[in-house]
Amino acid sequence: MSETLLEVDDLAVQFGRDDAPVRAVDGLSFTVAAGETVVLVGESGSGKSMAAMAITRLLPSTARITRGAVRLDGEDLFKLPEYRMRDVRGAAVGMIFQEPQSSLNPVMTIGAQIGETLARHRGLRGAALRARIVELLDAVGIGEAASRLDQFPHQFSGGMKQRVMIAIALAADPRLLIADEPTTALDVTIQAQVLDLIKAEQKRRGMGILFITHDLAVAYQIADRVLVMRHGKLVESGTRDAFYGNPQHAYSRQLFDALPSWEKRLREGHAPASAAAEPLLTVRDLAIEFPIRRGLFKRKVGAVRAVDGVSLAIEQGRTLAVVGESGCGKTTMGKGILRLTPLAGGAVEFGGIDLATLDAAAMRRQRAQLQIVFQDPVASMNPRMIVGDIIKEGMLAQGVGGNAAERERRVAELLTQVGLEAEHARRYPHEFSGGQRQRICIARALAVEPRLIVCDEPTSALDVSVQAQILALLRDLQERLGLSYLFVTHNIGVVAYIAHHVAVMKAGRIVEQGPVDEVLHRPQHEYTRQLLAAVPTIGNAA
Amino acid sequence: MQPILLKTDVLFFVLLAAAAVYAWHARRHEHLRAPWRQVARQPLGMAAAVVLAAYVLIALLDSLHFRAAPAAAGQGGGAYSRDINSVFDVLVAPLRDGVERTYSAPFAAEAYAKEIVELADGSNSRAYPRLEHGGAHLRDPASERGPDIAARLIGGILIGVALALAVGAAVVTACARKAHAPWTATALAMLRGDGQVPWRAILGTVLVLALLLGCGIELAPYYHVFGTDQVGNDVLYQALKSIRTGLLIGTLTTLVMLPFAIVLGLVAGYFGGWVDDAIQYLYTTLSSIPGVLLVAASALMLEIYMSRHADSYASLAARADLRLLALCLILGVTTWTGLCRYLRGEALKLRAVDFIEAARAFGVSHGKILTRHILPNIMHIVMISIVLDFSGLVLAEAVLTYIDIGVDPSMDSWGNMINGARLELAREPVVWWSLCAAFVLMFALVLAANIFADAVRDAFDPRLRDME
Repeated sequence: MSETLLEVDDLAVQFGRDDAPVRAVDGLSFTVAAGETVVLVGESGSGKSMAAMAITRLLPSTARITRGAVRLDGEDLFKLPEYRMRDVRGAAVGMIFQEPQSSLNPVMTIGAQIGETLARHRGLRGAALRARIVELLDAVGIGEAASRLDQFPHQFSGGMKQRVMIAIALAADPRLLIADEPTTALDVTIQAQVLDLIKAEQKRRGMGILFITHDLAVAYQIADRVLVMRHGKLVESGTRDAFYGNPQHAYSRQLFDALPSWEKRLREGHAPASAAAEPLLTVRDLAIEFPIRRGLFKRKVGAVRAVDGVSLAIEQGRTLAVVGESGCGKTTMGKGILRLTPLAGGAVEFGGIDLATLDAAAMRRQRAQLQIVFQDPVASMNPRMIVGDIIKEGMLAQGVGGNAAERERRVAELLTQVGLEAEHARRYPHEFSGGQRQRICIARALAVEPRLIVCDEPTSALDVSVQAQILALLRDLQERLGLSYLFVTHNIGVVAYIAHHVAVMKAGRIVEQGPVDEVLHRPQHEYTRQLLAAVPTIGNAA
Repeated sequence: MQPILLKTDVLFFVLLAAAAVYAWHARRHEHLRAPWRQVARQPLGMAAAVVLAAYVLIALLDSLHFRAAPAAAGQGGGAYSRDINSVFDVLVAPLRDGVERTYSAPFAAEAYAKEIVELADGSNSRAYPRLEHGGAHLRDPASERGPDIAARLIGGILIGVALALAVGAAVVTACARKAHAPWTATALAMLRGDGQVPWRAILGTVLVLALLLGCGIELAPYYHVFGTDQVGNDVLYQALKSIRTGLLIGTLTTLVMLPFAIVLGLVAGYFGGWVDDAIQYLYTTLSSIPGVLLVAASALMLEIYMSRHADSYASLAARADLRLLALCLILGVTTWTGLCRYLRGEALKLRAVDFIEAARAFGVSHGKILTRHILPNIMHIVMISIVLDFSGLVLAEAVLTYIDIGVDPSMDSWGNMINGARLELAREPVVWWSLCAAFVLMFALVLAANIFADAVRDAFDPRLRDME
C-alpha cells in the first residue's frame, strides 16, 4: 500500500435545472491507494454509481459535474480533453458493470470484445492479439479459452459473462479498477468465485480497486477501507475492522441493524415455535415441463423438467422458505402451485381439494385463497391504474366485499394495515418508492383474504433497510391474520430471519428440507453445505 | 331548407364525437393528460395543430349539407345543378357562382385562349375575351389590375390583422380570467413568451391564417385567385372543397382500420397458439396482396352495386359520397395489417409482465385483462400510428385517383385535380395553376400533420419520455 492512486476531492454531480437541482453526489472526497480496495457502500439513490461514472466522465447527458476534482496519479481528469480521456479509460481505469447481460454486445464474439480494448490500448494485432486474449481468458478462469473466444455472449452463463467482463476490464492492465456492483446479479456460489478472482488479480497486479455495493457482507469480504454514502454525501469512512467492529454514524448502525439474520430474529423474540401446526398445503411429486419444439410444425420433441417431482408441505400460519440458485425452478414451482403455469404431473392438496385436478372455472373459485407477491415492484402493477383500483381488482374478480362502499372501506383498511395511508388510494404507482409499491402489492394480495401467499423474492429488488421493514410487515401480518407463506428466495439471511421450514432446491428437485434451525445450522446434504459456505458473512473473511 | 345527412357526414360526426369523448376521458386521467400537456408545450407542434384545426373547421363546415328550398330563385348556377349544398358552399358563394367558360390564368381578366370575339361595331376579331366574373369590375385591365390588386391586398391585410387581434384578445381574456390576473399583464407575458404554452407560435400562426383569410375575402370575389379550370370552375374553390375529401379519407380510414388492428393484434398476441397462427396467416396473406388491386376490385364491385340500385343513388352527390365511403372502407381493410403486427408484438411482451400474472392469479377473465390492462398500455402506439398514417392516407388518395380507382371524378379532390393536370401540363401554353393549387393545399396539410405527428410521438413514446 503506497502512494495515492486516485484522489476524489469535493465531487458534486447534479441533475436538473439550477433552481430545482437533484444533487446526486454532494461533496464526496476520498482516496484510493495502489493495492488497496476501497468499498463504497450505500443504498439505491445514495449516489455511489454516479460517483463512479463521474470519475471516468461517463455520466448521462442530463447530469453535470458542478464542482470538485478527480486526480489519477496526480493528473486532474476533469481538465483532460475527451481524446486524452479515451486513453485513460481502459488503460488507466478499468470498469466492471452490474449487469453482464447488457454489458456485452450480443452480436460480437467475446474475443472481438476483449480484442477491442487490446487493439485500442496496446496496439496488438493478429496472432499476438489472439495469444493475449487466450492468456486473459485463462487468467479469469474460462476453460478451453482458445476455442471459446469465438463464441457469443449468449453461449455463456451469467457468472462466465461477468468473468469475460473482468477480462475486458483488465485487458489493458489498468492501475485502477472500478467495479459497480459486479456480483449483485449473480448467484451466491458464483459470487464467491468472482470475488476471489478479483482479489487474486488485485494481488497479482497491485491495482487499486473502488468497489461499489449495497451488500455489507460482500463488502466485508473484500474491503480494506469502507465508505458509507447516503443521499450523495459521505457519512462515514474507516478501515474494515474499525467500521465493522464499531460503526460510528447512526445511519451505518441502522444499516447493520437492518441485515436479516438468525441472531436478529432471536433478538426480536421470534424464535420458531417447536409445536407443529395443521398442514395447509401439501405438494406431492409436482412436475412442470417446458416443451422443446422443433420443426416446421413445432412438434414437441422433448421437454425441460423445470420442476421434477417436488414434494413439500406448508403448515398453517407458518413460512416455508424455498432456497436455491437461479434456474433451479423455485419460482416456477411457486407459480405452478397457483396454477399460473400448467402442471405436468403431481398433486397439490389445499384444504382437502387437489388443485391440480380442477378445471379452469373451479380453480377460479379457489384463487382467492392462494395469492402471490412478485419480485419486481415496478412491473407488478399496471402503471395506468390508480392504487385503489389495483387493490379492488381482485375483490371484484372474486366477489369480496358486497358493494362499492364496502370495497372502498376495505381498500382504506388494507392500506393502513400495510403501513400506508388511506388517501394513497387515489395515486398512481409511479408516485411511490419501491418499498411502498411492494406494500401496495401485499395489500392487493390480502384484499381477497387468502390463506396462503407465495412470496416470489419480494425483497430482492429492495434496499436493505426497506427489506427489513417489509419482512417485519410480512411477519406481523402472519401473526395477526394466520397467513402461511411460501417464501422463495436466494438470500440465506432472509431465510434465517423469517422461515419456519426450509426446502433447498437444485435443478428442479428438493435436496433437503426441514425445520429452519436444522437445515441452516446442521445441513445434511452436500449441496446445502456448499450453498451455506458460499454465503458471505460478516466476521468470516475468506 | 332541408338538412341532408350523407353517409360520410354521419361517420365524420361520429369521429368528432369520439375525439370529444376521448378528450373528456383524457382530462380525468393523469397518465393521459401528461403526454398531451407535453404536446401542448411544443411551439412547432402547436403551430401545426392550428393549421390542422383550420382544415378541420373547413371540412366540418363542408359536411353540414342541406337542400335549398326548391322554389328559391338563383339557385345553382353553372352548367349542372348541385342540389345538395353545404354551409361552406354558402360562405364562399361568390367563388362557387363565378363560373367562366374555360381556362383562365390566376388574377387574369381575360380568358387563357384566343377566341372569335364580336366587337362593338359588329365585326369579329380573334382576341382574348374578357371574363364574366374575374376582373369584371375593371374597365382597363392592363393598367388598373396591378393597383387594384395592391389596394385590395392592403385591405385584406388590414382585415386579417383585425381578425387576428380579435382572436388574440379573446385568448388573452380567457387566460386572464382563468389565472385571475390582470389583462395587460397576461398579454405582455404572452408576447414575451413566458409560460409553458407557446402562445406566440399559436397566435403567430393564427395571424398568418387570418392574413390569408383577409386577402381571400378581399380578392376572391373579384378575381380568380388560382385561375379557372377547363369548364370554368374556380380552382381555389375546388381546392378548398377537396379539403373535406382528403380529410375524410385520412380519418375515416382510421376509424375502419382501428377495430381490426386492435382486436386482432391484441387477441393474437395475448392468446397465442392456434388463434395467433390463424391471425398471422390472415394478415400475412392480406399484406402480400397489392393494395391497389384490392381497391380496384372493390371499385368495380361498387359500380355494379350502384348500377343495380340506380334509383337509390340517383343524385351525383349521393353516388360520389358512396364511392368515397367505399374507398375509405377498402383502404381501412387493406391497411390494418401494419398496426396489427406491431400491436401483436406489444401484446406478446405485455402478456408476460407481472401485473398481468397478478390479474390471472385473481381469476380475472381474459376479456377484462385485455380491456383493462393490455389495451390502455398500448394506446400510445395506436395514437402515434393514427397521426403518422394520416398523411400517408391523404397522399394515397391522390395516387389512387390518378389511376382512376379513387374518388368519383365529380367529387372535388386533390387527386382529381392532379389527374386533370396530366393533360393540362401537356397543353400549349401550359396550364399550371390547378396542379399548383392542389399541391400547395395538400402540402400544407400533410406537412402540418407530420409535424404534429412528430410532437405526439415524442410525447407518447415511453422510452423517449424516460430520457427527459
